[in-house]
Amino acid sequence: MVAAGLQLVFGVQKIVNLACGSFYALGAYFGVTVVTRALAAGLPPPLFLVVLIAGGLALAAIGPIVERVLRPVYDRDESFQIILTFALVLMFEDITRFIWGSSPYQMGNVYLVYGQWKIGRLTVPVYNLIVIAAGGLIALGMGFVLSRTRFGRIVRATAENREMSEALGVDMRRIYARVFTLGTALGTVGGALVIPATAVTLDVAVEVIVEAFAVVVISGLGSMRGTFVGALLVGVLKAVAIAAYPELELLVIYVIVIAVLVLRPAGLFARAAA
Amino acid sequence: MATTRRQFLELVGGAAALATARLDTAPAFAQATPVRMGVLTIKSGIGAQVGEAGLRSAQWTTDRINKAGGILGRKLELVVEEESTPKDTVERFRKLALQNKVDVITGVISTGVSLAIGPVAEELKMLWISWDGTTQKGVEETMPNPRYSFRSTDNECEAVMASIVVAKNWKGKFKTVAGINPDYSYGRDNWQAFLWIMEKYGNPVTPVSDLWPKLGTTDFTAHVAALQQAKPDLIFSSHWAGDASVLMKQAHAAGLVGNTKFVFVVAGGVHETLKKSFTPEGMFLGYNTIYFDYADASPLQKQFVKEYNDRYKEWPVFECERAYLVTSAYKAAVEKAAKAIGGKWPTTDQVIDALEGLELESLGGKARYRKDHIPECNFYGGFTTYKNRFDFVTIDPVVKMTGPEVQKPSGVGLKDWIQSWKV
Repeated sequence: MVAAGLQLVFGVQKIVNLACGSFYALGAYFGVTVVTRALAAGLPPPLFLVVLIAGGLALAAIGPIVERVLRPVYDRDESFQIILTFALVLMFEDITRFIWGSSPYQMGNVYLVYGQWKIGRLTVPVYNLIVIAAGGLIALGMGFVLSRTRFGRIVRATAENREMSEALGVDMRRIYARVFTLGTALGTVGGALVIPATAVTLDVAVEVIVEAFAVVVISGLGSMRGTFVGALLVGVLKAVAIAAYPELELLVIYVIVIAVLVLRPAGLFARAAA
Repeated sequence: MATTRRQFLELVGGAAALATARLDTAPAFAQATPVRMGVLTIKSGIGAQVGEAGLRSAQWTTDRINKAGGILGRKLELVVEEESTPKDTVERFRKLALQNKVDVITGVISTGVSLAIGPVAEELKMLWISWDGTTQKGVEETMPNPRYSFRSTDNECEAVMASIVVAKNWKGKFKTVAGINPDYSYGRDNWQAFLWIMEKYGNPVTPVSDLWPKLGTTDFTAHVAALQQAKPDLIFSSHWAGDASVLMKQAHAAGLVGNTKFVFVVAGGVHETLKKSFTPEGMFLGYNTIYFDYADASPLQKQFVKEYNDRYKEWPVFECERAYLVTSAYKAAVEKAAKAIGGKWPTTDQVIDALEGLELESLGGKARYRKDHIPECNFYGGFTTYKNRFDFVTIDPVVKMTGPEVQKPSGVGLKDWIQSWKV
């Protein structure tokens, strides 16, 4: 989802937004806070997922604010954009440290509230399946919005030719704000969805950015369908490497990244984006 | 106008009086100047919890020392800097030594960082007493006889303790083992020590999987799947930070907790995160050099645990003991050295000489700095239980082992030492 946010924003606004990792981290921290408070206030545990997603969506309200900060560098060199968005990563890290402290944050005992699913000798937490399903639904939803709605057509037109879209009367500022907010929501909701099973630390933003970039490089900048496949590829390869030869866990991903950069620099799915 | 002889004598006399007055007041000025102790600790990321605990304890110890009159009448003052990457931490070490001009530098938790700090301490002739960063292999290779660096206990102490307890208590109850350890010297040394000790105790085991996630991993889903596939009788882990509880939570969710035995050699350092809801009873849990709920604890430990909990609403962990030991050892060494030279403030070299062989009471009991600059401390661990007043697991009964029982003697390799045991 973080990679999808990165792709969406780059595809339309041509901004390499490193802060997408910070949105993921903020979503996770905020998710812990809202769910903990809601449970303390008497929320039935099975409803925590609703609160978690609502929290992630609400946090996407920071999207338009950040987009406003980025406006001056839309037409500048990419290096300016990267420096500015990296500065945002550091600022968000300090804001997080100020609000939530520097210790790792974990959510209480809600991970197994939906139980476990046993298939033979394999046990899978139902929550993991919900997250996978949510990821699939969001991907389908994104596909529907981008290909079947008026907003999606405008977004695609803007991504293809900004000047022409503007000449045809598209309010670019509004489109940019909406697209950026959508990209932010993908990050914040993604972080919120993952946190019940894991922990979040201050440096998670940078880690997520690195993985998201690996996905984007493999799939090709600007390709949403490619992102979906690229993310699956990275996840599966990592899992296979851990099971077969743990030493290759990190190496295997970057070998593919290097191979793609050398053999097909535009990415495996670059054509699909066009 | 020419100066008369009387005027000249008055001038010389005045100057002499002034100079004498300066000489007289100089020691008093030195006494009033605080002793500055640099502290390097982790403040962010997966190790922040442990680093913060150490810093709190260093501050508690400093306040205690100052309330009792300071060190030879001088107040102790902490100058805190962040421990992060080896490169950046070395820069901060240099800053503390050269710019802040501290008298001693303490702290450092990461083994990787201490490997970088050790040579710099020697180069700057700066006394550095490590809390927890153990630099065994690196220092043995690069600095066999450090002068200015005082290290922490050996990397493998907690693994040695856990392995001995497990070998004795679970003999014959497991055959296949899997290791999931952080991918750096600490994790690798511990896993190796465990396998050697199993062999020594005539407990032949077959490793079916050894996984090396990087320190700070927060998603173990794929690792847990690999462990499920390997189906080991026992899982050995030396994760020591917030990642330990994430691993346990995800292992529990995947149904790995049940028939499998778990050995977490040092996760007691983040014990409050090991909730009963996902941590099994009966697993081995190492607490390192202090166990917060130890019934036979010294009055010092009981006072510390109470005050720590009153103030922070948390229960202390081993990094608290490390920070207390180091801060108190510096004070004791300065006082010991001063006594030997008639009460004057000792030089760094005299403090180092006093530290070698120094015995003192730490939070976990009696401790001692060996001549090779490595401390000996008590280690605590045991099998987990839910029978307590907390929402996290504790241990019962508590096993306590002394430094010489879990740490190899000076100048002997770990494998040779293990093989020399009579079991």
